[in-house]
Amino acid sequence: MKYKKSLVFSLITVLLFSLFLTGCGEKEVNQTDGPTAQKETQKTEKEDKKETVEVDIFQFKVEVAKALEEAAKVYEEEKGNVKINIQTVGGGDDYGAALRAKFQSRQEPDIFNVGGPQDVEDWMDTLEDLSDQPWVDLALPGMLSGATVDGKVYALPFNVEGYGFIYNKRIFKDAGIDVSQIKDFASLEKAVQELDGKIKAGDLKDKYPLLEAVFEMPAKERWVTGLHASNAALSQEFDSSIAAYEAKEIDFKYADAYKAIIDLQANYSANSETKDRLVAVDYATQVDEGLAIERVAMIQQGNWIYGGVYDIDPEVADNLDILPMPIQGGKEDCIPVGVPMHWSINTKSTPEKKEAAKDFLNWLYTSETGKDFVVNQFFFIPPFEGYEDLQPKDSLGKAVKRYSEEGKTTPWVFMGYPTAWGEDVLGVEIQKYLAEKVTWEELVEEVKTKWTESR
Amino acid sequence: MWKKKIKKIVLFIFSILLAVLFLSPLYIVFTNSFKTQKGIFMNVLSLPFGPFFTLENYKEAFIQLNFIHSFKNSLFITIFSTVFIIIFASMAAWMLVRTKTLYSQFIFFLFAASMLIPFQSVMLPLINVMGWLKMLHPVGLIFIYVGFGSSLSIILYHGFIKGIPKALEEAAIIDGCNTFQVFWKIIFPLLKPTTVTVSILNTMWIWNDFLLPQLVINKPQWHTIPLRMFYFFGQYSKKWNLALAGLVIAMIPIVIFYLSAQKHIIKGVTDGSIKS
Amino acid sequence: MKKNKGWFILFVGPILLAFLVVQIIPIFIGMYYSFTDWDGIGNQANWVGLQNYIEIFTQDEGFLHAFAFTTIFAIVSVFIINIIGFGLALLVTKEMKGNNFLRGIFFMPNLIGGLILGFIWQFIFIKAFDWIGAQLGVSALQGWLSTTMTGFWGLVILMSWQLSGYMMVIYISALQGIPESLKEAAAIDGANYLQRLRHIIIPLVAPAFTVGIFLSLSNAFKLFDQNLALTNGGPYNSTQMLALNIYSTAFTYNKLGLAQAKAVIFLFTVAIITLTQLYYNKKKEVEM
Repeated sequence: MKYKKSLVFSLITVLLFSLFLTGCGEKEVNQTDGPTAQKETQKTEKEDKKETVEVDIFQFKVEVAKALEEAAKVYEEEKGNVKINIQTVGGGDDYGAALRAKFQSRQEPDIFNVGGPQDVEDWMDTLEDLSDQPWVDLALPGMLSGATVDGKVYALPFNVEGYGFIYNKRIFKDAGIDVSQIKDFASLEKAVQELDGKIKAGDLKDKYPLLEAVFEMPAKERWVTGLHASNAALSQEFDSSIAAYEAKEIDFKYADAYKAIIDLQANYSANSETKDRLVAVDYATQVDEGLAIERVAMIQQGNWIYGGVYDIDPEVADNLDILPMPIQGGKEDCIPVGVPMHWSINTKSTPEKKEAAKDFLNWLYTSETGKDFVVNQFFFIPPFEGYEDLQPKDSLGKAVKRYSEEGKTTPWVFMGYPTAWGEDVLGVEIQKYLAEKVTWEELVEEVKTKWTESR
Repeated sequence: MWKKKIKKIVLFIFSILLAVLFLSPLYIVFTNSFKTQKGIFMNVLSLPFGPFFTLENYKEAFIQLNFIHSFKNSLFITIFSTVFIIIFASMAAWMLVRTKTLYSQFIFFLFAASMLIPFQSVMLPLINVMGWLKMLHPVGLIFIYVGFGSSLSIILYHGFIKGIPKALEEAAIIDGCNTFQVFWKIIFPLLKPTTVTVSILNTMWIWNDFLLPQLVINKPQWHTIPLRMFYFFGQYSKKWNLALAGLVIAMIPIVIFYLSAQKHIIKGVTDGSIKS
Repeated sequence: MKKNKGWFILFVGPILLAFLVVQIIPIFIGMYYSFTDWDGIGNQANWVGLQNYIEIFTQDEGFLHAFAFTTIFAIVSVFIINIIGFGLALLVTKEMKGNNFLRGIFFMPNLIGGLILGFIWQFIFIKAFDWIGAQLGVSALQGWLSTTMTGFWGLVILMSWQLSGYMMVIYISALQGIPESLKEAAAIDGANYLQRLRHIIIPLVAPAFTVGIFLSLSNAFKLFDQNLALTNGGPYNSTQMLALNIYSTAFTYNKLGLAQAKAVIFLFTVAIITLTQLYYNKKKEVEM
């Protein structure tokens, strides 16, 4: 009994001590790294005497968190009376839920992220009108469509991303396939068959011991099949996400071409004989454990995979390029390029905070220092003019930029799909289709019906 | 004699096999924490020795987790929450067992029923309330943990207290103790095994919890270890090599705690007191 | 025992307060929202009465399927977890070398959670099983997690692995509370191990069974993280359990009012099940 009492007592003392230390931490650590923090403390304390405006950013992309914080630091030094607090939602997926929770907590951020037209509509009451901002005129054509309602711009496009069939240049070269000859679905199919033949015959065994199939298809990731792949077909039917957003029903004119894309990937994957197993294949298996270790030669993905692949094998990463996902009967040489996320400003924040927030975002995307961060540290492709001398450093960024400059792009209409339709209806139906639980005709019927119902 | 010895040996071997089975996922965690990202994806099952062996993960993870600082935060929150849960849950459970009225039964029922609530359905309203009370900071988080930990801990104490003979308490009252003294001098020491159990279960859950800290204390100076771990998981790129090393580092304090806490469960506690 | 209201409030009060603020009040707020079309943004929501509830029973097959799936999962898991947990506890409370060490090992599974756990077990079920299956020619081990059946058993195995150690801890403390004298007396009277188990040990450990079964039952019904990490409801949402279904309704479909309604239904139904179990078990407990 006595022993227990003193144990508890000493525990509490230790903790009160650490409480004291942690309490001091309030001012101490505001960054991810340690040493620079000390200097910051003294500075910000002095600044507190002046009129410091605090801007709270609540953003979702872990990959740029550190770089963003550094950019904020640089900005703070330049301006002198602004303090930027950045909170990043880790874990990858849950931003929508976390953002709602943040607003519920009554600690509303000044800058946050919204996606496409649905998000913009949902959050409309909190979005500041940004139509008068300098960057609006600098935006490349079509880039502001996802965040424009009734002619007013409500958010700043984060970056531009593109996807298609990313392939390993070296493997194709060593298999003797001339990629420049691939111009449409027919030639793509032919090349795939050729490569498949060579793999099965063992011709590439020496150089690529792990290579077992042409494709890997992550049917578990319903956004890949249900959102991205379908976009290739539906972007032939709608010319913007807004058009899709307003459509009460779909024709699905290019459903067969879409089927061709799905079948191509499934039939030439390692699970071609057991397609139902594709349902358990996830992103990591396709990218990290597929393309990056050269177990497969081609995958349907976008320029965002660069960082992950680079972490595994820099050489493979630097030798990647993108082929189009050809839709027979439509455009066969384009890749879907679009804006996945936007920055928006909370219209309910105080005028000073809103000013500071607008200024920061403007600085980030239009000043020389800011632009350098955006391209070279965030690895973004910015949807604005003024970046002519800042080319993307990574192989996939370059590829996307190339397609953009040649005008060979289709828009990301999937951002206008009915809520959850892409993943929970189409993605699920694709899984059933691969497991042979439904026929393609049934799939098309079902998804069309559900689209109309959701509107 | 012979039979007994063989029995013991067989039992021992059986336990070892079972242990190996249980440990296999942990084996995967441990071995892969020493591989580079590429090494992990080349062959998850292999031993780490070879071209992909690295100690960098641990160094890197330690730095990126801001370990010393986040460790302090985790420690503070976990220990205070657990201590308060132990104190208040045991008190409440004892009072609920000994008070055989309708409302006491109803309150117990309420605690039990709350264990069925999926967190997602109270998540947003909870944050709303806590924001309104301006309790979105570490101490507020401790309050929340006590609120959530109460259910399980009260149930555990409740079950155990039922097995304590009333005779002991009655004797103490005759000796002139008031309610407070009866509880702390007689009952609480007897609850030791349950207290250890309660502390282990709560510590474990709170130490590893990610969701509540993310919603309540997602500011860099308050970050706990799990919060920082999630910086390894981006939208697309997941740094498994660092995450696994980070997990091993984060597990060490808990394992030490668990092993040392185990030693404090003493057999036959009631046995001794009845005899005296 | 002095029936003094003051003492009652003092002893039960603090934790009851925390409990009310943190759990009860949010539940009632949530219940209010279940009668609205709330989408989680702001606090204005339109009253829709029982519409959400009606929709669940007439239109939402996913929810009903998830309910059935979760119920079956819960029953199977509870059975397996408690048998293993109790068995482990029996094992490590014997006089044996390395007991402490073993207890540590069986408890370890609890230390890994979330995404990492999902990653590891996905690997085990998809790659490891596949490889073993290929080597031994057992095709049943291949293609795990791509069918509903293997998804189900995958979840059961994962849950059992994680929770058995948890249950073991609870059963250990109960086993150690059994007076040695009782066991010795029974042995002297000629009872063998199984008989001692049945007539002495298990009855005296009954309170722990109540808790153990209740805990594993409630955990199984509420399962979320592991469901998300291992199968994400796949294939084609067939292994989507209740918590995941509710979460998806809330944050994928942005229908928080509807999700709250589901949560209310979930709560009431499961409460009836588990509280019946609690009541039944508590009756069988021995109060000394």
